[in-house]
Amino acid sequence: MEGLLVQLIIIGIKILFILAIVLGLGAYLTLVERKVAAHIQRRPGPMVVGWHGLLQPLADGLKLITKEDIFPRYGNRFLYNLALVLALVPAVLVFAVVPFGPEFEIFGIKIKPILTDVNVGLLLVFALGSMAVYAIALAGWASNSKYALIGSMRKAGIIVSYEVVITFAVMGPIILAGTLSTYEIVQRQIDQKLWYIWLQPIAFVIYMFALLAEAGRVPFDIQEAEAELVTGFTVEYGGIKFGLFPLVEWYVEVLSLSAIGVVLFLGGWSPINIPFVGFVDPLFFLGPLSPFVWFALKVGLLFLFVLWLHWTLPRYRIDQITETAWKVMLPLTFVNLVLTAIIAPIVWR
Amino acid sequence: MPWAKEEDFLDLKGRFKSLEIEVKPTITNLHVSKNELIELLKTLKEEKGYKLFIDHSVVDFPEKSPRFQAFYILYNVDERKRVVVKTWTDGTLPSIEKLWFAGKWAERECYDMFGIIYEGHENLVRAFMWETYQYHPLRKDFPLEGYANEYLPSLNEVLRGDNLQGLMNYDRMHTPVPTLEDLEITERKRLKKKAQLVLNWGPLHPGTHGTMWFLFDLEGERVVQCDVILGQLHRGVEKLAENEMYNQFLVYTDRMDYISALCSNQAWVVAVERLLGIEDLVPEKAKYIRTMMSELQRINSHLLWLGTYALDIGALTIFLYAFKEREKLMDIIEGITGARLTISYPRIGGVRMDLPEGALEVIKAFIKRFPKELKDWETILSRNRIWLRRNVGVGVISKEDVYFYGLTGAVARGSGIPYDIRKFEPYDAYPWVEFDIPVGENGDVYDRYLVRLEEMRQSIRIIEQCVRKLESMPKSAPFFAESPDPKKLKLSLDGIGLKVPEGEIYSSGENPRGELGFYIYSTGGVKPYRVKIRPGSMYNLCVYPKLMKDRVIADAVAVLASLDPVVGEIDR
Repeated sequence: MEGLLVQLIIIGIKILFILAIVLGLGAYLTLVERKVAAHIQRRPGPMVVGWHGLLQPLADGLKLITKEDIFPRYGNRFLYNLALVLALVPAVLVFAVVPFGPEFEIFGIKIKPILTDVNVGLLLVFALGSMAVYAIALAGWASNSKYALIGSMRKAGIIVSYEVVITFAVMGPIILAGTLSTYEIVQRQIDQKLWYIWLQPIAFVIYMFALLAEAGRVPFDIQEAEAELVTGFTVEYGGIKFGLFPLVEWYVEVLSLSAIGVVLFLGGWSPINIPFVGFVDPLFFLGPLSPFVWFALKVGLLFLFVLWLHWTLPRYRIDQITETAWKVMLPLTFVNLVLTAIIAPIVWR
Repeated sequence: MPWAKEEDFLDLKGRFKSLEIEVKPTITNLHVSKNELIELLKTLKEEKGYKLFIDHSVVDFPEKSPRFQAFYILYNVDERKRVVVKTWTDGTLPSIEKLWFAGKWAERECYDMFGIIYEGHENLVRAFMWETYQYHPLRKDFPLEGYANEYLPSLNEVLRGDNLQGLMNYDRMHTPVPTLEDLEITERKRLKKKAQLVLNWGPLHPGTHGTMWFLFDLEGERVVQCDVILGQLHRGVEKLAENEMYNQFLVYTDRMDYISALCSNQAWVVAVERLLGIEDLVPEKAKYIRTMMSELQRINSHLLWLGTYALDIGALTIFLYAFKEREKLMDIIEGITGARLTISYPRIGGVRMDLPEGALEVIKAFIKRFPKELKDWETILSRNRIWLRRNVGVGVISKEDVYFYGLTGAVARGSGIPYDIRKFEPYDAYPWVEFDIPVGENGDVYDRYLVRLEEMRQSIRIIEQCVRKLESMPKSAPFFAESPDPKKLKLSLDGIGLKVPEGEIYSSGENPRGELGFYIYSTGGVKPYRVKIRPGSMYNLCVYPKLMKDRVIADAVAVLASLDPVVGEIDR
């Protein structure tokens, strides 16, 4: 009985921790994005609210919350609101299977810094990722706007194509690790002294492409394409409801997919890897905190890479995006998968 | 002057009984009767090589019978000759839409403004006014203030009743304004629905670069047909021109193509100078200053185009890069002329004032660093795979289409036709400076992009030469023309009392958006009798429905931005 209570408390703390990190960080990533964009564009960015605009996300949030909640005439109010929930919940739920660091002991209790280490963790990630289609399709449909409808159809088309691609892309690392549990995958990479990016470079590149597509980042941001569709499927949302969609799409989703990418290809919380030799940890002086810092560092780097692309490249057209997915990326992942499946059992064990 | 000679048409005299050739120093007219008009236009187009449609409109003479004189301006690109075909009518004209598509739009405008009925016109709808509007505003008997027959009280009057005092108490009868029902009727008249849904793209939409209203008939994302509703920014500039003195009209040219105000100013000023016959009297310094300034304006305008174009295709950062440089240009222009947007710096006979101290140094500093910036942007865009895939092969305009749709400016040059007024009919200092005309090969969006980028480089070249020349001139050199006989011809900075002799002229300037032409019909006096403005943007836009057929919406922005229309000039 006592053990169960402790377990429950620990899980509660973990949930609070993750929610705080994800939503708080999500809000502050808007500031990061604006600053990065500003410096790419040779301007200072937000400077007024707080030191170098540090309080800007709070001001933005306050503004969005206090705005009038407008609902389009002839829209479907139930679906309109349901779309919001369907967008937010799966995106945050993904973090349940993201391992932030190795197991550690505190007050005699062993804690894994992962909410639930289910043995089909990756499957869960992609199942939840597919849920995003519903949110977007509903948002576009319930708004009773042609622009919103076109935007949501575009996005749904992309997600359907890239869900397939991303699933096949991660097959490589899964075969190498022999497990679907995210925690175990990282553990295997540490045991084998190898980040899987060294063996699966193609899969990694395709994964990054799919990440951009799923999160609606440039060059795949056609669902919002402000010059064509104003803001696509969010065009009829106002106030904080409007704020939530980009928050989920651009920050929470990028964050969660980057985290999964780090887990699959970059060895999770492990320090810099020299293939088959071992790990070099320049941050050894941080002691037990070092793995957590490494994890955050890698996710942050992937996020900055996404931002860098976003503020540099033009955007594709919808037919070009789906064409790339089905005609180029999917065959590539197949080749990768077949090669891995044939070679890995011979060399690996 | 690039006007056709009389001997060019002598062989036609036998074939067309009513043909009369009139050659004046400022214009060459072919007078023909209405029933031979189409035949003559066809002969000119197919046998004589006058393939490029420039403009068509009518001049209203209420006291004459027949009442309207219609004119068609045509251009022969190979021989660099221009000719005007004229005919008289009492209200009906044969349609030329089979010969030139651009004529279709010009005819719509004439129908709208003068009430001319075109026989054989496929879809004769109003160009600028809404469908339920009853009048034809450019007719001479239409009063300048309009017909006040609609009851429209102001909000104050509704709330406070009749107690308003003094100036607050307006007349409640006003000229009609369109209501929502009117707009709906207008919209219905444009497009017969053929496919799944009709998307209203505009009038207020970030992708349309102004208040243009597009109707897309969509099958999924594919555009089955497309139409444009113009007139959201119609201000009746041509009517205003008839009621303003020549110099006063200058400020309206600013407000037409507001992004390239200096070029429009220059085109108007040169047109009036040519009509007066004082083009040679304008001092060299003024000519160099005007040329330099309008090239600065051209770069400025192309920068705005580049920024918004990249923004439309999703490259957000180029927008800010381009606007940063544009801001510097605006500062230079502001320092020299005192204004940033609506400039009115040139005057008939010269420029308003001399260059201020240090202006040339600032310009030199700008043209020294600008090519580097341009190279940076090209590195980001020109060979970018995504950029290429979005641009290459999209919106292809063939050479025949250029003539058929009356396209000019960078759009025509992108399709490989070196039609540039600065070379073909040089004005101001253009005959004395060296520059090249970039032309494209395939006529797609990408070629137009490259042409505009190269034009910026050529503008830099022109500015360099102008600066060198201006530096070598003495400070006391005149910047305004001296009238040879002040009694006959009064030239002054404010232009009051400037009398223009009887005559007519068509003169055009190379604007960043195509040929901006002015057809001025003067019956003597201080005001023109009729001014027809040839808007480059409008005829460039008329190819848009054709380009958009069977393309997706994502291409709509790319194609539209590559045509680069400005609504102020289209609607006037």
